[in-house]
Amino acid sequence: MVLTDKFDLPTIEELTVPEINLTFPTLQAAAHHLGKYCEWKNHEFMLCKVEEEDPRKCVKEGKDVTACSLEFFQKIKKHCRKEFDQYANCIDKSSGSSSFAPCRKTQSVFDKCVLDNLGQERPGYGYFCEAKVHETSRPKPKYNAPEFPNAAVPMTTDEPLLPPRYGSRRVLSAN
Amino acid sequence: MYTTTTPPKTNPQDMPPKGGYEPLTWKRQKLKTFFTVKKTLGLYVISTIAGSIGYFYAMRDVKREEIEMRSARQAMLPMLIAERDRAFLKQLNINREEERELMKNDPEWEVGTYYREPVYITVDNQFHEPRYQEFMGHAEYFDVTYRMLRRHFMS
Repeated sequence: MVLTDKFDLPTIEELTVPEINLTFPTLQAAAHHLGKYCEWKNHEFMLCKVEEEDPRKCVKEGKDVTACSLEFFQKIKKHCRKEFDQYANCIDKSSGSSSFAPCRKTQSVFDKCVLDNLGQERPGYGYFCEAKVHETSRPKPKYNAPEFPNAAVPMTTDEPLLPPRYGSRRVLSAN
Repeated sequence: MYTTTTPPKTNPQDMPPKGGYEPLTWKRQKLKTFFTVKKTLGLYVISTIAGSIGYFYAMRDVKREEIEMRSARQAMLPMLIAERDRAFLKQLNINREEERELMKNDPEWEVGTYYREPVYITVDNQFHEPRYQEFMGHAEYFDVTYRMLRRHFMS
């Protein structure tokens, strides 16, 4: 490893939080509601990932995301256990790719339960593929580009061009 | 005595019907066809239009399902990435401690350097994603190889 002692790493205790021990079909069944429930925190975390390019700086946001997801699953377990189990079972066993198409009936039952208890409607089928604007108070990271003292002055378009010396060669150009 | 001659007929001879035979049909007779040009073209146009409409709706449904799958994946990705990142940082910590434990009998050794010669001199605290072989440096050879080749074994 090239990590010296000067490299700050969060300790294992700091990184240990309750994780979500669920299989893929269960996650797939909950995905749309989960994404809607934790939308702001997910966006914050992904923005951090893209802007900082350093997993150490996004640990707090990642913990928020996991805590939010855990909270969502606890609520589902409390209110809609039966409906969700039915739906996840259908997702698991209806197709090899965990697709949603064969499970619309159980899905409508689950959606109704979520709407009644969590007060959240299922987002449209392409909701998370849409581009969105994320409102945040997060400061933009500073890009420290090196400054060279002897660099050439950048050209501007304000400066007028010289008159052409050999007739009108500038017919097709701007001036 | 054996003879091949037939006995003479006693019946009256076969004669043409009265008024003579019917005239031979020597003109070309066309076969009866159902698919005329107009019907064929009409069937082609109608079936193409009907098929195109059905294809449009079926394809729209297929595309919607694809988008729905992608949407679900995007919705759960932040959670999975957060968990993966924490596991990754934990493993970096474990690797550094493993190296310290491994080289504890060498007093000249400093962790993360080759006898106090670091790889990155000016950027101590900047994150570089380690190479795979470096990240798995203290693992068993079988585990390293299996994880590299795992995608060839799966489906």
